[in-house]
Amino acid sequence: MSSDITENDLPGIGRSYTVSGTDGSRVLVVLHHSGRRDLYVLAPDEEDDPLATVTFSDDQARRLGSILSGAYFKPLAVAQVEAVIGGLLIDWATIRADSPGLEHSIEALEIRRMTRMTVAAIVHADGSSIVAPEPREVLRLGDQLVVVGRPEDLPAFLQLVIG
Amino acid sequence: MGAELVALGASLLAAGILARAGRRIGLPTIPLFMIAGIIFGPNTPGLSFFDDASDLGLLATLGLVLLLFYLGLEFSLGDLAKGGRKLVLAGVMYLTLNVGAGLALGFSFGWGNREALVIAGAVGISSSAIVTKLVVELRRVANPETRVILGVVVVEDIFLALYLSILQPVLGDAQGISEILISVGTAFGFLIVLAVVARKGAALVGRLIATDDEELLTVCFVGFAVLLAGIAEEVGVSGAIGAFMAGLILAESPVRRQIERAVLPLRDTFAAVFFFAFGLTIDPGDLGDVAIPIAAAVLTTFALNVVAGILTARLYGFGRRAAANVGLTVLARGEFSLILAALALEAGLDPRIGPFVAGYVLVLALGAPILASQSKPISRCIPQRLLTSRPPGAPSG
Repeated sequence: MSSDITENDLPGIGRSYTVSGTDGSRVLVVLHHSGRRDLYVLAPDEEDDPLATVTFSDDQARRLGSILSGAYFKPLAVAQVEAVIGGLLIDWATIRADSPGLEHSIEALEIRRMTRMTVAAIVHADGSSIVAPEPREVLRLGDQLVVVGRPEDLPAFLQLVIG
Repeated sequence: MGAELVALGASLLAAGILARAGRRIGLPTIPLFMIAGIIFGPNTPGLSFFDDASDLGLLATLGLVLLLFYLGLEFSLGDLAKGGRKLVLAGVMYLTLNVGAGLALGFSFGWGNREALVIAGAVGISSSAIVTKLVVELRRVANPETRVILGVVVVEDIFLALYLSILQPVLGDAQGISEILISVGTAFGFLIVLAVVARKGAALVGRLIATDDEELLTVCFVGFAVLLAGIAEEVGVSGAIGAFMAGLILAESPVRRQIERAVLPLRDTFAAVFFFAFGLTIDPGDLGDVAIPIAAAVLTTFALNVVAGILTARLYGFGRRAAANVGLTVLARGEFSLILAALALEAGLDPRIGPFVAGYVLVLALGAPILASQSKPISRCIPQRLLTSRPPGAPSG
């Protein structure tokens, strides 16, 4: 959907990005060199003043960004959220009752050899979590797996483990 | 040393607190830093932190160097190329009107030819710092005319660089046409060498300076900027242009973004010292003697900015509101006018340039933000028929 984003240089200020929403309204984000971010909700008529503006510090903006991207809290509706950083992909997937990986260990599934993806962390259904799980860790119902790898390897992983 | 530190600290604090107070009512910082210098200087009753502006000489010059370095760093011909010929046209139109009028004013004052040349620049060139701040504070970044405003400011910055490079030899003590030609030649020769370095040697300089360590990066780029400024000064070109070229060279380096971030707090601190030091040289009593030139220059600049706003709006098919926004925002004068006045005073030109530019900048740096924030009611005074090149049927602004 990157075609919906327009990017502009603002000499002496920073850069701006305009993003369209599903309802046709547009939001403009100004990234200042200082780290400050301004968010404008634009009026339909270009000549009017923006409907609303908000200013964030760098820190606040990152938090808002992580909420918007679904990384801070992943709503159920966003099944296909993935974050790509430097060509690497980080994704979340939950073990369901019909998942082929259910009750198998990472070792037994040969996840890394078969799919080249790595399970970086597991969040259990009860909320407890393990970072960098051991190969003999067994995947349980409701486990959320945080996986890292190349985007092209994700389908193989989903097929092998999640179903 | 203790006494000097007390004076410097008190100066910065006074300037900062005054600017904070002004900030509450939407005033830009530059004129308030200068006012702090006037109040806490030798020419007004009460406390005087520094009796002689030259006591702040090195620190104030560092402010000037960093201001110009940042300008070079941000400078991008690409921005201009993207804006297209219309943008260049708008910028050239603005400069022709304002620098032309400044030159005419300068000669009409009868202070001398070199003085007229300085006044042309001081009156003709907007304040990038105040203009960009205004656009952000007035929440106008999304407006279509804002890109034109920022583009015009970029054209002005280019002009400033060229103008500074011819100004210094003229200000210097060259006698007669041939000597002036030789020093202009040296200046351009130096600039060409630096331009070649910027194009061909940027990678090498980048490798010398680029590091992921912010501490070392800052130490190196400040050293580079100050060194080039010094060398420029030594070969008879303005140090300001040397600093500008240093920024231009590092703009091509892979660490440009890091430098942009790291230079800001340094630039802001030392630029405040520069404006404060300029204020120290101003005697409010002298302002009365140059009141008429100041009034003439302010009125001329105001009128020509409105004209330029309307012409720009016609060029782009903007409405009245945008026309007023362009004219009243680009109206702000500030750092560049003060830099030119400081260079002129240093070169021993007519001392009236000091109070003249100080008064002129005070009026327009404080007035432009107020006018720009009221552009909506003001725009109703612009006759619609002046904007006839608007596409027919479009709603009026």
